[in-house]
Amino acid sequence: MTDTVLRTVVRRETHSPRTVAMLVVVVLLLLALAYAAVEIILNLTGAQPLLVSPGEALNAVVAAPTALMPVAFIVGGVVLAILGLVVLVLALKPGRLSRHEMEWGERAVVVDNGVVASALAQHLSNESGIARDDIVVGVAHRAVDVTVRPPVGIPVDEAQLRRIVDEEVAAYKLTPAVRTHLRVERPDTKES
Amino acid sequence: MNATRRGLNRFILFLVALVLLGLGALALAVGLLPGGTDTWTTVMGGFQGWLESLGRDSAGWGAVAAFVVLAIILIVIASAAVRGRRQAPLQSTGSASDAGRITVTDGFASEALKNALAERDEILSSRISAGEIKNESVLHVAVTPRQNTSPRQVAEHVDTLVTNLAALTGQNLRAYISIHSGLRAKLARDNTRVH
Repeated sequence: MTDTVLRTVVRRETHSPRTVAMLVVVVLLLLALAYAAVEIILNLTGAQPLLVSPGEALNAVVAAPTALMPVAFIVGGVVLAILGLVVLVLALKPGRLSRHEMEWGERAVVVDNGVVASALAQHLSNESGIARDDIVVGVAHRAVDVTVRPPVGIPVDEAQLRRIVDEEVAAYKLTPAVRTHLRVERPDTKES
Repeated sequence: MNATRRGLNRFILFLVALVLLGLGALALAVGLLPGGTDTWTTVMGGFQGWLESLGRDSAGWGAVAAFVVLAIILIVIASAAVRGRRQAPLQSTGSASDAGRITVTDGFASEALKNALAERDEILSSRISAGEIKNESVLHVAVTPRQNTSPRQVAEHVDTLVTNLAALTGQNLRAYISIHSGLRAKLARDNTRVH
């Protein structure tokens, strides 16, 4: 797919817009601003303050180091720094959604990871004869994990399972590409 | 699919993060560094003195005006982000031929696709909408297939339908297909037909 408009669409659909985080931050800021403005206006018109008058608040801020223990500043600083780090991570991390792009000629196709996982499990079950309930598939951003739990006494050809999984994953042509890991889990046959 | 200004969202988050980190560092400096408390008292006392020198009324109303301007900027940014979610109408114009001009209305294209998709047993639900990205309209076909259905099979089917629709309307559609897993797909009975 070479269309730049569709490239933009795919990029948008596979990454979080961060609108919710932005709105939460903006609403909190607006509430703080509104409260401060109300206190100042009440003070200017000579009405009773809601909580503290602006002058008293300013005095308290100036006197904070003497009125409070240094520990209070350290704790407050750590809390603010942690909040800042959380918001910074939200601002800078790519925010990838659990979806993959599927290469498809001139069309843009985006698939939820869950769809890929269940389809892969079903395909492996059809091809290998292992019950669908004994196959667990997890699809992450760059890896596909397949866990097979065959019933006791049923031999499985691991190499063949791996080949089936690899072929099916390759057929999906996912971007970003995924590596496949296959694990055969045998229940502990030695009874304790 | 929407036109939210993502760069702006992240820029605001980044600014807020810087302010929070700065305040945190300041508080830590006051609490930990020797002489931190003195510096704090001097600087904050100076700020208080400056406010008082402005006079109660001008300082008060000035602060309120500054808050209002800041609030308006924030509201404009927030509403722009929300408005970015609006969807463009599905538009389709007809093709002219010797017999005359055929016009296909908005609803028809989406209904035709929806009905064609509804006939398929493995597709539980579909939603057709149009979005506008970079001033170009893009058709968005969102489908939720039954669990265990191959996404390639679904994509191929939708692709064919869109191609047919394009041939019918004489308009090359720029299409974006999204295949979803959802609660509905998980709850629906598995498709265990033997092929």
